[in-house]
Amino acid sequence: MGTRTLLCGVGSLSDDLIARLRARGHLVEAVDPSVLVARADAGSAVDAVAGSLGAVDLVVHVLAAPDGPTPLVDLSTDAWVAACEDPMVGALHLLQACRSHLGAGSRIVHVVPTSAMGGAPGFAATSTAAEGLRALNKSVARQWGADRITTAVVAVAPELLLGPAASSAGGALTGPALGHTGGADDLAGIVDALASPDAAFTTGSTIVADGGTWMAP
Amino acid sequence: MSTDRGIGLLEGRVALITGGAAGIGLGIATAMAREGAAVVLAARRIENGEPAAEALRDAGHRALCVRCDVTSRSDLESAVATTIDRFDRLDCFVHNAVGGSAAPGPLEEVDDGWLGLLATTVRASFDAAQVAHPHLAAAGGSFLLLTSAAGMEGSANLPVYAMVKASQRALAKSLSREWGPDGIRVNCIAPVARTPAMERAYRANPELEERLLGRTPLRRIGDPTGDIGPVAVFLAGDLARFVTGQTIVVDGGGFLGL
Repeated sequence: MGTRTLLCGVGSLSDDLIARLRARGHLVEAVDPSVLVARADAGSAVDAVAGSLGAVDLVVHVLAAPDGPTPLVDLSTDAWVAACEDPMVGALHLLQACRSHLGAGSRIVHVVPTSAMGGAPGFAATSTAAEGLRALNKSVARQWGADRITTAVVAVAPELLLGPAASSAGGALTGPALGHTGGADDLAGIVDALASPDAAFTTGSTIVADGGTWMAP
Repeated sequence: MSTDRGIGLLEGRVALITGGAAGIGLGIATAMAREGAAVVLAARRIENGEPAAEALRDAGHRALCVRCDVTSRSDLESAVATTIDRFDRLDCFVHNAVGGSAAPGPLEEVDDGWLGLLATTVRASFDAAQVAHPHLAAAGGSFLLLTSAAGMEGSANLPVYAMVKASQRALAKSLSREWGPDGIRVNCIAPVARTPAMERAYRANPELEERLLGRTPLRRIGDPTGDIGPVAVFLAGDLARFVTGQTIVVDGGGFLGL
């Protein structure tokens, strides 16, 4: 049986990742991140997906990001909430809703932009949420590790999630060592590998998958 | 309270500190005042903050208390407006206040009480940044956020606290890049200090102090004024004029992950 994967995300990277994971044999059901802000709705959505899959081996939460850069001083409160606070609330609700469906050997992966670690002008709200998700991932690793539930963060080039305006947002002196910043093809293999029992002794770690741009620890 | 004075590292500067009535906020305010800054203690309860401000004034410092619930944008606006009205400028905004429910426990049991924590840390950082920005730009000042090593290493006991504290670091980094051209520096301090909140945590978890000391090379818990305050003075002053987007962990060496 293929890996039973619940993927939460919206946008082209999520769509492409679903297609690539299915091509690798995963059974993938999607959860729309917009339902996560209400705890009850998150529970209903996750229960429905888990019921369809039978169980959940892998949770992939791709951080949703707003369109276009906006300096923080020009950001409306509503836009801040949508780009920063709602994703953090939703991430919490998703994990809470998933907990009863996760057994020993299951894996939780958050996909965030590397701007979580380096910041990004014009994308402060999303970057703020992204680093929050990274810490949540680590805390869950510490809490649920005793039940052999593991976690990881896959940090990707900002432009994959934030759009082309973020292409220079990483502040790197040089471009990616591997010549390109990647896409769903590159990420699906990493996510698939993380779901393997062979990877089960790493938890709470961040894997930077941006072709070798961000190389800080 | 000691009346000793520093060497004037912040002479002529003005700082506003949220959560300034006690603990780390008061420690930072006191250290800044001793270095010559006028300090505004933004406190949720004026009856808590005013005695602290009065003590600073009695020691010969310039100090003022303003009532400010950081979850209220209008309170933040009013606090900054009062600061400008009274002292003519704002050189450093320190967002230290944290509130709401962050009781230790499993992630599964976190209820909506944590939204208060989100409001006092994340939303208040956003509101404070927008409110303070024009004044910090005019002064060539700095914005300082209080974060925690829990946000860098995760927390088995305080998962949502770790989340909000981590997020503030990323906000500081993004703002350092947005505001650098305006001449504003943005930094974080991740402290461990003996505060009223820490004392409550010790009472709830008697093993906590021993565990903390056990991983702390300097074998003591920090003092808000003597240990944390001087780092805030450094970050607010000219000695740190080329430092932005950084987190300084001030915990006696307990967390060495940066």
